[in-house]
Amino acid sequence: MKFSKLVLKNILRNKRRTLLTISSLVVSLFLIITLATILTEFTRGSEKSNPLRLVTRHAVSLGFVLPVAHQQRIATVPGVKAVMPFSWFGGIYKDEKNFFANFAVDAPKLRDVMTELKMSDAEWQAFISDKQGAIVGQKLVTLYGFSPGQRVTLKSPIYDRSVEFIIRGVCTGGDEKTLFFHHEYINELVPAWAKDQVSTFSILANSADDVPRVAQAVDSIFLNTDAPTKTESERDFAISFETMMGGVKQFMYGIMGAIAFSLLLVMGNTMAMTVRERTREVGMLKALGFQRGTIAILFVGEALVVTTVGALIGIGGAMLLFKSVDLSLYVPNFQSFVPTGGTLLGAFAVSIFVGLASVTYSAYRVSGMTIAEALRSTE
Amino acid sequence: MALPLKYNFRNITVRKSSTFATAFTIGLTVGVFLMVMALARGIDLTLTSSGEPLNLIVLREGSTAELNSSVSRENLNNLMYLDGVVREGDQPLAAPETLTLIYKPRKGMNQGSNVTIRGIGPMSNKLRSGFKTVAGRMFQPGLTEAIVSRRISERFQGLDVGDKFRVQTTDYTVVGLFDAGGKAFESEIWVDVNSLASSTKRDTYSTVLMRAKDQTALASLAKRITDDQRLHLKAVAERTFYEDQQGAASGVLKVLAVFIAIIMAVGAGFAGMNTMYAAVARRTKEIGTLRVLGFRRSSILVAFILESVAIAGIGAGIGILLALPLNFVSTGTANFTNFSEIAFNFRVTPDLMFWALVFGVGIGFLGSLLPSIRASRFKIVDALRAS
Repeated sequence: MKFSKLVLKNILRNKRRTLLTISSLVVSLFLIITLATILTEFTRGSEKSNPLRLVTRHAVSLGFVLPVAHQQRIATVPGVKAVMPFSWFGGIYKDEKNFFANFAVDAPKLRDVMTELKMSDAEWQAFISDKQGAIVGQKLVTLYGFSPGQRVTLKSPIYDRSVEFIIRGVCTGGDEKTLFFHHEYINELVPAWAKDQVSTFSILANSADDVPRVAQAVDSIFLNTDAPTKTESERDFAISFETMMGGVKQFMYGIMGAIAFSLLLVMGNTMAMTVRERTREVGMLKALGFQRGTIAILFVGEALVVTTVGALIGIGGAMLLFKSVDLSLYVPNFQSFVPTGGTLLGAFAVSIFVGLASVTYSAYRVSGMTIAEALRSTE
Repeated sequence: MALPLKYNFRNITVRKSSTFATAFTIGLTVGVFLMVMALARGIDLTLTSSGEPLNLIVLREGSTAELNSSVSRENLNNLMYLDGVVREGDQPLAAPETLTLIYKPRKGMNQGSNVTIRGIGPMSNKLRSGFKTVAGRMFQPGLTEAIVSRRISERFQGLDVGDKFRVQTTDYTVVGLFDAGGKAFESEIWVDVNSLASSTKRDTYSTVLMRAKDQTALASLAKRITDDQRLHLKAVAERTFYEDQQGAASGVLKVLAVFIAIIMAVGAGFAGMNTMYAAVARRTKEIGTLRVLGFRRSSILVAFILESVAIAGIGAGIGILLALPLNFVSTGTANFTNFSEIAFNFRVTPDLMFWALVFGVGIGFLGSLLPSIRASRFKIVDALRAS
């Protein structure tokens, strides 16, 4: 610690270089944090799923529908606490750009199955007692200014229908860019082929042990019917969506790796230049009796201070930005856009690693020179 | 008087490691940009090449994708014999088609994606150029046989010649593999339209594809079908239909590419400035000497900018070389128009490479401005006195 003043003096000697290096670190770390956050949100479905929930779809694919009558049969399966239809409506609000999810559900069962939804009891009562009622997530209120009592028309290209709903409540929890409404209501309005049909069922099991049993039992009921089912945990269902996107994860990791590597090059170059320019000074320090280890530590300390400052500004800046602007409002399926603790820790670890790795070779080389060699340097 | 280019190149090679680190940083920036853009371009090219210029696709009024479209059998007969549809002998060049999805696990994974199954009519092959069977044979109409695109067969389990897959209660046997000239159909399984209709218990078709005699006929057919109030159908040029799909899939990627590239470029630019400032500082005395010899401030300025641009050019070259092998990589993602897999190649096209080069050189140019201006502003006396 007694050399901390010397390290600081050295850092401030070429202020412009230090500033440029730190700026480069800051923007790169910001980018890594942003990409990691995108990746977190991308895999949220599988990582943050409710372990007690299952999804039942048609055995062939989501392109096929299931009869709503399956609901009664599923409800009798031991271990099933609640079950309801969960049908993608694909309704568009005014313009295709206003994309948000909207689902037809068995309204009175909604709170039983989607346990994460929170809303006032008064609004809940208003919603379940009005067939035309709908509830919207808090973020849709932020985006479109929806309010209870408002009439909202959604146009669904799948069913070729425009349907008017009346907003009865606002909920929080889960994906807050979702609108739920009564399957019963829309069932009267859809074309004949879609009548009494749903795209999936959402099931809540009594316990984690029941989940695989329920999946098997449900599928075996419908095995030899016209509408065989595939039931899987919400997690597996989400993973199937994530795998649909292909190698997104690997691609993002690849990009993050490239950024981290360029960070190493930038820092390595800076430290190499710094060390080289001070070769003669090293000779003098050695002549004064400084040990090789001490000299190396001076350089390592310098690199670590620079990367730590860069990391703190980059991480702090990212936190500040993402806390003040909620980007998740504008990205479909993203529930939040705040870096996780793991992401921030990872970014910090990357910068420390870069700090150490960037200086190792230069420090090792220059501290190992003889006094004469170092003093003779022409840098 | 300009400094000889030799001066620049000698200097670049003096500090090899520093030059290389800077060039490689720019190379990574350019490479990442190019890779993401190549992904977006792959999707775009697959979709834009998919439509034939004279083909017309008829969908249900209001539907946005083939999957949620339906055309009745009665309407098919009305459509096929309209004026302006090309005839093959006495048969109109038009085909009813039916689309459905089947969920298949990817190779080496438990989970997978939806694959499109297209029921095709007798004329469907003739309506699509580039189609050829590459293994096995074509399916026989009326049987529950299927041909699978080679790419899909490579990416998913149980879709090779001889394998069986189930649609509802019907088993289909894969009898052949096909290529479709890099088009969107290379992400599909093809079966007989009537077999598929009976196994999915559908009494309507999804779409009707037809060939118009010429552009005028195409336009008037489209207008006539769309305007006919009794049909409740819409007709669009097949090319437009596929072009409209590209935005959703590749738009996100392009935004991502530009976002990442700009931020990485800022980082690389700062690093480049560091290198150039160091070069200027190291050569202060040299700059003084050059000025004494009669070289102008502007010559010094240009020399340093050129040096930086050359390093950036090398960097951009590295970036392009890094991205180029991707041209041979085939990948796939979900096409959210039809909610199913679309297989395609990364496409590092010459125009993308050109823009990558411009981008890389741009970083070098902008990064060099301040250090070069500094170099050109030295007073001769001070510069010569520098240690």
